[in-house]
Amino acid sequence: MIHRSVAQPDRLVPATALVIVLIAFLASPLISGKPMAVFDVYNALQGFAQLGLLALAIGITMIAGEFDLSVAGTYALGGILAVRTGETSPVLGVLAAMAAGACIGAVQGGLIARLRIPSLPVTLATYIALLGLTYAMSGGLSTTYRNSDATLWVDQTVGGVFSPRSLLTLAAFLAAAIMLARTKLGRELRAIGGDRRASRVAGVSVDRRLVGIFTASGTLAALGGALLAYSYASANPDPGLQPLILAVVAALLGGVSLAGGRGAPLGLLAGTLSVALLAQIVAITALPDFSTQLLYAALLAVIVAIESPGLRHIVDRARARYRHDTPVAEPDR
Amino acid sequence: MTPSPADRPLGPYLRVEGLVRAFDGVPAVREVSFAVGPGEIHALCGHNGAGKSTVVKLLSGQLTPDSGRIVIGGQEVGFRDRQAAQRAGVALVDQELSVVPALTVLDNMLLGDIHVPFVNRRRTAAAECRRVLDDMGLGRIAPDQPLSALSLGERQLVEIAKALSQKARLVILDEPTATLGDVETEHVFAAIRRVAGMGCSVIFVSHRLTEVLGLCDTVTVLRDGRSVATTLAKDLTVDELIVQMLGAAPRRLSAERASGQADARALRIEHLNVPGRLTDFTLTAQAGRVHALAGQLGGGASDVLRALAGLHPRATGVVTLHGRPIPFRDPVRAAREGIAFVSNDRKSEGLFLGTSVARNLVATRLPALARAGVMVPRRERRAARSLAERSRLPPHRLDERVTALSGGNQQKVFVGRCLDDGRVHALLLDEPTRGVDVGGRAEIHRLLRQAADRDLVVVFASTELDELLELGDVIVTMRDGRIVSRYEGDIDEARLLRDMTHGALEP
Repeated sequence: MIHRSVAQPDRLVPATALVIVLIAFLASPLISGKPMAVFDVYNALQGFAQLGLLALAIGITMIAGEFDLSVAGTYALGGILAVRTGETSPVLGVLAAMAAGACIGAVQGGLIARLRIPSLPVTLATYIALLGLTYAMSGGLSTTYRNSDATLWVDQTVGGVFSPRSLLTLAAFLAAAIMLARTKLGRELRAIGGDRRASRVAGVSVDRRLVGIFTASGTLAALGGALLAYSYASANPDPGLQPLILAVVAALLGGVSLAGGRGAPLGLLAGTLSVALLAQIVAITALPDFSTQLLYAALLAVIVAIESPGLRHIVDRARARYRHDTPVAEPDR
Repeated sequence: MTPSPADRPLGPYLRVEGLVRAFDGVPAVREVSFAVGPGEIHALCGHNGAGKSTVVKLLSGQLTPDSGRIVIGGQEVGFRDRQAAQRAGVALVDQELSVVPALTVLDNMLLGDIHVPFVNRRRTAAAECRRVLDDMGLGRIAPDQPLSALSLGERQLVEIAKALSQKARLVILDEPTATLGDVETEHVFAAIRRVAGMGCSVIFVSHRLTEVLGLCDTVTVLRDGRSVATTLAKDLTVDELIVQMLGAAPRRLSAERASGQADARALRIEHLNVPGRLTDFTLTAQAGRVHALAGQLGGGASDVLRALAGLHPRATGVVTLHGRPIPFRDPVRAAREGIAFVSNDRKSEGLFLGTSVARNLVATRLPALARAGVMVPRRERRAARSLAERSRLPPHRLDERVTALSGGNQQKVFVGRCLDDGRVHALLLDEPTRGVDVGGRAEIHRLLRQAADRDLVVVFASTELDELLELGDVIVTMRDGRIVSRYEGDIDEARLLRDMTHGALEP
């Protein structure tokens, strides 16, 4: 019997995903024929750092029952702003990117809360507008970052497997986890995602919380973009849809539900790690590139299936049929 | 926070003067005035649409009045939102729950309470929550359980416990007992009396008039948005209260009882079991008679109906309707065999809230109204008209959204949808008059009686003694998922209540 606290979907899902991928990761030397290197773990964590803040940004809006598509645009803008303003002082560049992300998020949150409009159209429009903006700023070309000290610093190894970039990302996850699990704010966020009307009646300032959550998601996405641009020594005006899609996959693997009210940052962390590890497995085993996509799809399918009400229903039926000796009325089947 | 008797303010704690509020020019509250003293339990009574819920929303900061004054503790207040009302010491049990299923019981207790610190103090909070739950007779519920694991009635109890634990000086309860059985209600009343004893003012809104007179000190009756009378509860009888509410002599509420002629056509239920909920339920319900399943919340009455309707995936047993077997665990096939189920939750398991009254009425018979798969508006119209007429719904409201109707009329739409000759042979209703006013209740009872007269099997589950006695030709009492006794003809209230609460079980 699974322990009750693990059996809840918001823990069961990320735990299962991470366990499956970890086993595959540890088993990957069997396929590649080469022993596991510390460098493989470092690389997986670099992949985690690249995706993590974006996944966290979109994940926390999903917990609150919203969906912030604009994070991909903010991610791109954050990179360009950091490269432009952080030539001499990298910290200033990061702060500029985060401030811009916060503003974009706050405006969107304000619109969504005050006008009571769904987040999907608002954030989709913002996403498109931000891509236009980054294109205008860069002329459609990658902007090079010339501060090589900063580039070397963010990706230097710390303790063998970490880098300042992956440590910062981890720290953001831990801060969010503490915030959601241990404060009034976290409770209200989950309540808003679970049942907005009830939260309002209970006395939660739903509007203010929505502005807050979008501000946080914008800030996190911009920070992620800035760190990535420093790492690549270049900012890309259009990162494409891949980061957005992987962030959503990470959130879903992390046990966050599209309906809202469910999920936790630690689940998001497990989901993001699963996605990053899976990419690294493909790299280690030298499988063809397209297998990454197929593996993501397969993992997502497994995860969605284990918590599906339909499957539970089938299990319940089977139990009812085989466990009880009382006759079951089931004509002509 | 609660003032000791010594520093209670003199005179009423809450004074409401000339409250007015309209929606889109339609007045919901025209002129409401009343006063509640410290430690007083004050009832607001009225027909559906009399303005009770609007008054509650005005007092709790969910709406602002167009004119009029609300004076609390000697100071005039104007609440912009719920937080402002909370700061003034007003706690609310909303008619529609304000608890969130996705959170745990403890998180729900703390949610929205302005006195809760920013950083959680889990241990203290959990201990406090445990104490509050025990006070409400909820020893079986753990603070860390997700609310979604609780039944509707238990959620309501958590909601009430939450409001009573907020150390408010004015507690407003809007229909707090609508989903509760008599035992749970007694726990709630004890808790209300306890906070009132500490000097807290209580406003209690309920359709259950006997409860109102048993619990409250004073009763203010609202009619058409006006406060028409404020009377001491001990000077009132239920009949007098009904006269005040209706403004005329009350109609005779109990439906005529059919002569109990036996019929071979019947719903036969043999050895119905639902693990953990229902044990060995056997009953033959003859067509043409109204069968009442009497039980407290969790007594199993509602599980019998849900199992028959195909909503319990783990139900076992043998059920036949007029000789044909009814499959389990499949709501669609149960409906095809002629079983119509009216759930106790018309909002999530009944009506399509986003659409019109007419569409709701015809929703279960669309194939009959279509030609080659395309709806024929004329047929749809005709079907809706005739159903509205049969269920006594005002025909001019057919095109309105179903949510614009009162609770009573919404329930008539739900029941009316099931009144289909030919296809429906058995009508199962779970709490058929929950949240329905006195007049609507009488009309729904009449509908059920007529359905039985047209030779349908009618089975309903209820926790309300009045309803069981008024409507049931055969009353089956249940407790802990088992049948206690079966009565035909006369049975007295005391016997019924004893069976439902602590009567001896049959071996």
